[in-house]
Amino acid sequence: MRLGLLLAAGLLAGCAPLKPVQPWEKGELARPQMTFDTDRLGSAYAEHTYSSKEGAAGGAGVGGGGCGCN
Amino acid sequence: MAAIKHSDAILLAALALPGVALAENPPEQASLSVSYLDYRDWQQNLDRIGVRSPSVELVLPLAGKWAVRGALVSDTISGASTRYHTAVSGASHFKEKRNAGDLSITRYFARASLTVDAGRSGENDYVSRFASVRGTVSSADNNTTWLAGIGVANDTINPVNLIVENERKHSTELMAGVTQVLTQRDLAQAVLTHVRGRGYFSMPYKYVDQRPREHDQDTILLRWNHAFGQHGVASRASYRYYRDSYGVRAHTWQEEVVTPLSNGWTLTPLARVYSQSAADFYFDPVYDRRLGPPFPPGFSFSDQRPRTADPRLAAFGALSLGLKVEKEIGRNASIDLRYERYRQRGAWRLFGTGSPGLLDFEARSIVLGLTVRW
Repeated sequence: MRLGLLLAAGLLAGCAPLKPVQPWEKGELARPQMTFDTDRLGSAYAEHTYSSKEGAAGGAGVGGGGCGCN
Repeated sequence: MAAIKHSDAILLAALALPGVALAENPPEQASLSVSYLDYRDWQQNLDRIGVRSPSVELVLPLAGKWAVRGALVSDTISGASTRYHTAVSGASHFKEKRNAGDLSITRYFARASLTVDAGRSGENDYVSRFASVRGTVSSADNNTTWLAGIGVANDTINPVNLIVENERKHSTELMAGVTQVLTQRDLAQAVLTHVRGRGYFSMPYKYVDQRPREHDQDTILLRWNHAFGQHGVASRASYRYYRDSYGVRAHTWQEEVVTPLSNGWTLTPLARVYSQSAADFYFDPVYDRRLGPPFPPGFSFSDQRPRTADPRLAAFGALSLGLKVEKEIGRNASIDLRYERYRQRGAWRLFGTGSPGLLDFEARSIVLGLTVRW
């Protein structure tokens, strides 16, 4: 938990630990599979089914309503 | 003109985009996605819940600076839910429908974006209305993007057994995060969220279920995407820590490896490990000698202290394994099929002992999807 908080705090502060990546070096990063929010419908299904049978929920952002299933 | 290699095309696209490698760019194409979920779960060969759920999502870019997104989902849920611990009675059988939809609009700026979203989810006994505002700002070199958001949800609960009437639940969500380019092949993201909930959180169809009217939740989500090189293979790893005012502490690890193959095929195996502690007011399946099940020892009908026998608030662990298969059809369409198998056991709790007396729980889901772009 403490390690997670430290990592999160470091990233939130925008501390890039390595040398800045230049635009012409970002070919690999531009691939669709490198984005964090691909397949929104699939992610919504997964989040809904997990949260209906577990105590924990959320974490990826804000928005979305409740339901009677949990 | 000589054909441009796929990897070169990606690099050219990267150079052309101001917000390269970060998600908050206007979509270049409109898209229509249709998905269908078939889900079922069971315990000791007894079928519990089945869900069939079609959904549709439309994304329209407007004037190069705006995007409108709309999504609709319709769940048909049937089966038998537990009344307490793992007990299913004849009255537990049900069939119900949930329809939900939301509409969002995003304005993109040179190094920022702002999204406003609103929606509604409706069942015969539960209605939720929600709205959110999210924003992003990127650094001058586009290596760092800060995220922030606020959301509200107002729910109305009218159970058919009339145990309560017009009960309300109000939630306020706050989110802050950052996405960071670490190297030429590594992207990381950290997101903190806090949810403040007030109102009716009890389960009206479960016996002896009295939950606090305050429910606060905190999560830390850490994600790391790593590209392995020329062939487009990418690892997508995440860890989530969750804690709430009920006393639940949960860890979730997830890993998927996107593996492009020849002829437009992509395979993505995935694994997820989950573990949680029990809520402070969860009681094990040991019952009052005089009253019997479902009442905990020493139970009194006038006692309004929180308590629950809902196994979702017990201590347990879960493991899921899955595989997603995608196929590009021409330049502007793709289909995908995702299969996932989920297993939950008391003994699989990590960093502690699982709750006693839980039956093993299993589920499987199949999602079929189609996306068309133009």
